[in-house]
Amino acid sequence: MNSSYLLLAAFLLFSQLVLTASRNLDLNHVRQRNRVGADDSPTYIWPLPSQYNSGNQTLTVNPNLTLFTSGNGGSSRIVSQAFERYKRIIFEHASLKLPIDGVDYDLNKLTILVCSDNEELQLGVDESYNLLVAASDAHSVIGEITIEANSVYGALHGLETLSQLCAFDYGTKTVKLYNAPWYIQDKPRFEYRGLLLDTSRHYLPIEIIKQVIESMSYAKLNVLHWHIIDEESFPLEVPSFPNLWKGAYTKWERYTIDDASEIVDFAKKRGINVMAEVDVPGHAESWGAGYPDLWPSSSCREPLDVSKNFTFDLISGILSDMKKIFPFGLFHLGGDEVNTDCWTSTPHVKQWLQDHRMSAKDAYKYFVLRAQEIAISLNWTPVNWEETFNSFPASLNPKTVVHNWLGAGVCPKAVAKGFRCIYSNQGFWYLDHLDVPWESVYYTEPLEDITDASQRKLVLGGEVCMWGETADASDVQQTIWPRAAAAAERLWSAPESGSSRNSTTVLQRLEYFRCLLTRRGVPAAPVRNFYARRPPIGPGSCYNQ
Amino acid sequence: MPVSVSFGSGKLHLSNAFELKTKGSKFADASGILKEAFSRTIDIVRSSHVVELDTSKVVPSLVLRGIHVVISSPSDELQYGTDESYKLYIPAHGNPIYACIEAKTVYGALHGLQTFSQICSYNLSTRGILVHQVPWTIVDQPRFSYRGLLIDTARHYQPLQVIKKIIDAMAYTKLNVLHWHIVDTQSFPLEIPSYPKLWDGSFTIFERYTIADAEEIVSYAKKRGIHVLAEIDIPGHAESWGFGYPSLWPSENCTGPLDVSNDFTFKLIDGILSDFSKIFKFKFVHLGGDEVDTSCWIITPRVRSWLHKQGMSDSDAYQYFVLRVQKLALSHGYEIINWEETFNHFGSKLNPQTVVHNWLGGGVAENVVKAGLRCIVSNQDKWYLDHYIRWQDFYSNEPLENITNHELHSRVLGGEVCMWGELIDAADIEQMVWPRAAAAAERMWTSYDKLAKDPNDVRSRLSHFRCLLNQRGIAAGPLEGLGLTRPFGPGSCYTK
Repeated sequence: MNSSYLLLAAFLLFSQLVLTASRNLDLNHVRQRNRVGADDSPTYIWPLPSQYNSGNQTLTVNPNLTLFTSGNGGSSRIVSQAFERYKRIIFEHASLKLPIDGVDYDLNKLTILVCSDNEELQLGVDESYNLLVAASDAHSVIGEITIEANSVYGALHGLETLSQLCAFDYGTKTVKLYNAPWYIQDKPRFEYRGLLLDTSRHYLPIEIIKQVIESMSYAKLNVLHWHIIDEESFPLEVPSFPNLWKGAYTKWERYTIDDASEIVDFAKKRGINVMAEVDVPGHAESWGAGYPDLWPSSSCREPLDVSKNFTFDLISGILSDMKKIFPFGLFHLGGDEVNTDCWTSTPHVKQWLQDHRMSAKDAYKYFVLRAQEIAISLNWTPVNWEETFNSFPASLNPKTVVHNWLGAGVCPKAVAKGFRCIYSNQGFWYLDHLDVPWESVYYTEPLEDITDASQRKLVLGGEVCMWGETADASDVQQTIWPRAAAAAERLWSAPESGSSRNSTTVLQRLEYFRCLLTRRGVPAAPVRNFYARRPPIGPGSCYNQ
Repeated sequence: MPVSVSFGSGKLHLSNAFELKTKGSKFADASGILKEAFSRTIDIVRSSHVVELDTSKVVPSLVLRGIHVVISSPSDELQYGTDESYKLYIPAHGNPIYACIEAKTVYGALHGLQTFSQICSYNLSTRGILVHQVPWTIVDQPRFSYRGLLIDTARHYQPLQVIKKIIDAMAYTKLNVLHWHIVDTQSFPLEIPSYPKLWDGSFTIFERYTIADAEEIVSYAKKRGIHVLAEIDIPGHAESWGFGYPSLWPSENCTGPLDVSNDFTFKLIDGILSDFSKIFKFKFVHLGGDEVDTSCWIITPRVRSWLHKQGMSDSDAYQYFVLRVQKLALSHGYEIINWEETFNHFGSKLNPQTVVHNWLGGGVAENVVKAGLRCIVSNQDKWYLDHYIRWQDFYSNEPLENITNHELHSRVLGGEVCMWGELIDAADIEQMVWPRAAAAAERMWTSYDKLAKDPNDVRSRLSHFRCLLNQRGIAAGPLEGLGLTRPFGPGSCYTK
């Protein structure tokens, strides 16, 4: 039965043999460790809060934990629904459903105070929260948990943190909250903490997108950058130009307007913004399946034809339709990897360039700026990939957010010129690069080489990018996790709060978080493998792989 | 594919208020199995897109109002051999129009609902769910009564959520036995109240199942018509037992097989089986018995002298161990399944109730049924999911191969695909299992004459089914490749 190793690639076999001996030793080690709440155990909260104090009490939590709310925003359905979700997570085990007589729990009540009833979710919304777990000592009549936040979105983060303080104790078959009392004051380091999903290279079913959104909330990421469309396929419905949908792979691999709204709404309930992208003019070949006029010619199909007004009418139509779905203030216009050969080789475009006294490079700039104007006229803040900044920084609209990807050093240049910047250096934060181990993801720094305080503020945050060429519904999640979590802590936690390079507990904490993801049904891959999303190299504990 | 299918060319809209009717059914549904299955069916049908169509504004003659389920058995007992057949009618006309499922048991009706869910799909022009190609008449029943999938929670712990998703997808493919290889050499995750220290053999204090967890799995599976077959694999795959009870090991440095010379060994197994019998209600229990390397028995002085005293060789002792445990299982009311080595070594001594579980290779079933025993087919060259094998081979593997005497066919209970856990964990189990297990599932469900002779003839259907699994949130991988294959490049799900 166990001859499963037989057909493995040779290098796996090799590592298998080398590691067998040490793993057996590890096994016994693991069997004894991982006692949450032991004095020497690290703080198993991911990402680490900005400030926290803990004690050494272990408290039991009533599976019928009752919610009390107060403040103007306390009665929000976003809060009550999240409370139900987290109850299901915290009290997952069946034994908790059995009635137990005569048990006095230390913690029976959760109070959530939300000051504001404004539920608008935008970049910069107050995500801070305080989480207080009172000790049950002679002074307090009854142990209590309190979450205070200015917005419902802060309260959601508080609930997530609370869920991570609790663990099921298999010995007593109760849920325990370790290291109480707790006093946590937490807020994110960056306001933009993104994950890119690419539904053009492979269509991702709605269920899968929802699973990804749910898992993002566990790591306190807050922007789903939806790279909806690219040259391979056009899955989104655009009512103004219905033939665009012909660019979908099949009739089954499509999103209706209502589907997209459903995703935005699902994300909002978890405190996550959805930033839509149309990547123009370079990544748009699929648009021409419905409107061949958009191609310079039928044999030379990219970039979009700069010489036709129809191209811009159509972009305007797409953006107007999208405006009804995507309330987030930022909109991504792409602008990367524009190869202008088709413009210079197609006679009518070439003629147009001549008539307008433009080089191909000028036309690229003209295209990007005209698309920016459309977005701005719809009250959107344009985000563009860094090539636009690298090519014509002085012409970009000053509102532009520059999205770095090619390498290091771009954000420092962009913020020096007064632009805002999102960090996604592909050497570290492109999740489709499988040869970037978790440490590299974790230790990269969005503010590197930016010393001026006012310039630092212009870095909105960062984003890990899950390009979809080799990731579909079957493997997208284990390509994302656990490495996206490494970036999530970088983006959330203060650099001095234990996430520094000399900290020895990061790996242990990340492994713990990865196993937490798997317990919640998220297929997060082993942490220690050098290559991402590889299967484990042999039997063993989740906490040790 | 069902036993018999006929369909037309009409279309009906699935009502937004699609309802379950059970008038005339003898099944009272006290435990809610049918009601819950019905609402799950509607949920998965609606999961692919947001439904916009308001069917109350469509002429009633084009709307399927609900489904009428008539079940003739009042019992919700799920046992081996429970009738799983069903008939599904979807008329094209009526006022109002109702589909109808007739089944002997609720579990047949559940299969009918699964089939129904595959006939419905979201339609972009109507923005609602369409029921295609009405009228339908489907008569269906499984070819084999045992259609299994093994999961291994000893090499890697599988969280409850993951096991539940595996069970969900098994229901989609009409598999009906979850063979739970709970414990093995590496870890002992299950709570055993009679011998609580066995739990010390879990990897960590987090990687455990309580008895209530196991009951929850059994009940979750039952609600989907799926049996749970529990296994303890003895004496050879049990090293982890000794973390809590070191006297089960021949010695501290020679830790397997379980000590045959120690009565405590059998007392403890009796305790485990007694605890099992309270939660695992399937009539079979799997006792393992494979890959027994008896060197520790020979090397360890105490065990060796015991062997000597009993006048047993080490291979006698292996037989003695297996047969003694078989008797214990019988005393707890179980019928027994053992891996094929037990049959290969001392087949004539096995309890005649024994089901022999083939794995080493082809041709075993033939010998087993000729010897008068029953068999489950899992030859590793075709049906081991941890091996890198093409889906076509999973599809083509025929459990009755070379068994020419038709009277012996009924002794082959069915087959099982095995997802051994050495190199998979919670992250990749789904795409290692699916879609290849679905290919085998058709082999085990569909009547022989309806099976494709050339598996490539079903490629397009299987590819659609894989995309359907994705749509339902199951991480089924591309068809191409040998399992755990990544898509080679961009493209449609339906072409991979």
